[in-house]
Amino acid sequence: MTTTVAGLDSVTNDQVTAARATWAAFRRNPLGMVSVGILVVLVVVAICAPLIAEYPSGYGDAVLQGPSGAHWFGTDSLGRDIFAEVVWGARLSIVIAALSSALAIAIGVVVAVLGAYFPKADAVIGTIVDLCLSLPVLPLMILVAALAGPSLITLVLVIAFFSWPEVTRVVRSQALSVVRLPYMDAAKLTGGSSFWIIRKHLLPAVAPVIVVSVVLTASRAVLSAAGLAFLGLGDPNSWSWGRILYDAQQSGAMQSAWWTTLFPSLAMLLLVVSATLISIAYNDARNPRARED
Amino acid sequence: MTQVVRFTARRIGRALLTVWFAVTVTFLLLRLLPGDPALAVASPNMTPAARLELLSQYGLDDPLFVQYGKYLWQLLHGNLGISFARQVPVTEVLMERLPWTLLLTFSSLLLTVAVGIPLGVLAATRPRGFLDRFTQVGGVIGQSLFVPSVGIFLLFFLGLQLHLLPIGGSYSPGVYGAAWYLDVAKHLVLPCVSLMLVQLGSYVLTLRSTLIDALGEDYCVLARAKGMPNRKVVWKHALRNALLPTTTLIGLQLGYLVGGAVLTETVFAYPGIGRGIYEAVTQLDFPVLQGAFVLLALTVVIANMLTDLAYGVLDPRVRTA
Repeated sequence: MTTTVAGLDSVTNDQVTAARATWAAFRRNPLGMVSVGILVVLVVVAICAPLIAEYPSGYGDAVLQGPSGAHWFGTDSLGRDIFAEVVWGARLSIVIAALSSALAIAIGVVVAVLGAYFPKADAVIGTIVDLCLSLPVLPLMILVAALAGPSLITLVLVIAFFSWPEVTRVVRSQALSVVRLPYMDAAKLTGGSSFWIIRKHLLPAVAPVIVVSVVLTASRAVLSAAGLAFLGLGDPNSWSWGRILYDAQQSGAMQSAWWTTLFPSLAMLLLVVSATLISIAYNDARNPRARED
Repeated sequence: MTQVVRFTARRIGRALLTVWFAVTVTFLLLRLLPGDPALAVASPNMTPAARLELLSQYGLDDPLFVQYGKYLWQLLHGNLGISFARQVPVTEVLMERLPWTLLLTFSSLLLTVAVGIPLGVLAATRPRGFLDRFTQVGGVIGQSLFVPSVGIFLLFFLGLQLHLLPIGGSYSPGVYGAAWYLDVAKHLVLPCVSLMLVQLGSYVLTLRSTLIDALGEDYCVLARAKGMPNRKVVWKHALRNALLPTTTLIGLQLGYLVGGAVLTETVFAYPGIGRGIYEAVTQLDFPVLQGAFVLLALTVVIANMLTDLAYGVLDPRVRTA
């Protein structure tokens, strides 16, 4: 039994070389590497926010000043430095994206894998996922966020709770094609427990899809969080990119001062585009036919 | 014929199931969220008598199961409750807004398809050409755009700087007759284009890749071999098959489109349901919020059902499956 298991485990060891080949192909893609660089810079900015800029609070003397040496991104209607707001906003936006996508991925993958592996559960899971996907998500998030009151935890839970069906949809379709493959039957014949088969054989097979889901769910979470904040449902006590836009709209600053909305929008676009490009580059690198070697 | 009837019946059945699901989710959310539903429903400013009346109207003293039954019964009669802010039935508040949202979402969908199909065809027929590269880059960026950002910039440049188009609302007061329609169309341009820009990317990218695949299929090779002009091969043979995944995409994107409409209407002060949601949030008008969600879910479900039926027309195999 031990030898069989060890033999089967060597299948998963092949994944290491596959991963290395993927990484080698990924490194050759300039767009993918630039995107990784941008993402790293944004994360570093988020972590080091206190070192880069002072927390924007209170009132300043220079109200609605355009970008200058003193205020790189200009100032808002209360004279606060927009560069500092964007830097501190990166922190909250990335934290929300990371936490909510982690939660959504955890729920989504477990549901997808269980559904694909146990056909009886799949009929129910498939229907529920289809039903969830046909609901308009943002209005639902608005309803819950308004009822539960704005806070970081509410935002993370709301976004995660309405994002997992999309993860399940993607992972489940991949898992369904994997469980039909002969090696899954072979794994069952060795007498391994369902848990072992799922962990050792099913999960590694769907891992690439999960990687792509993580990136896409996180970037969609950034947009959802910004959408809620733009409607005034964000955490009112901390800065986020959506809140900068909300403030600009509420004060009417957006009608005269383009810098109040341009810079947070650019930050958001940069984050989401680089995440999307990373997932595209990763997909290309993983596909041997798209690789040039 | 019976197959078509059965296909249609099954789709309608699924639509009804989805509506029931949306309604049940709303009910459970209202009851299970932290805090007493009585507190969420009754505003603290009400007199005790009014509060009691409202609570009994919502049947909040009944067991959960009975409340659920009553809630469904009320919904079936089109009763969504009374707006806190305006003291009129929620249906009245929402019905005056629904046409604007339908106008906005439907026109932006039409515009997206009208721009997206030619763009996707052009990109797919000259792969790796300049236009193809441009569409791919534009598609990725378009998919990553934040709807309010797009709206704000269109509003700033076209509305405020160049004074080409009105910056908000859905029509100007005091305009009647044919001029009114022109005025409405003018007010529609900016919100509609904003929504189109954020949707266009995924349609063009999907159509491009499916069309490239379709053009490599044997039936297209044969069509070319027998001397059919290339334009005809693309538009008559390949496109019909390539449009199937695009039709599926419309269904998948509908929920997203409605979310985008909520944000767009907020930017442009467009008097649709989305703007209504925004106002309901600021006024904590929960019956309106809840009703708006049910109505939007209903819209999405009906539109989804129509896309499914259109899919059946495009692809005969679906009807028998």
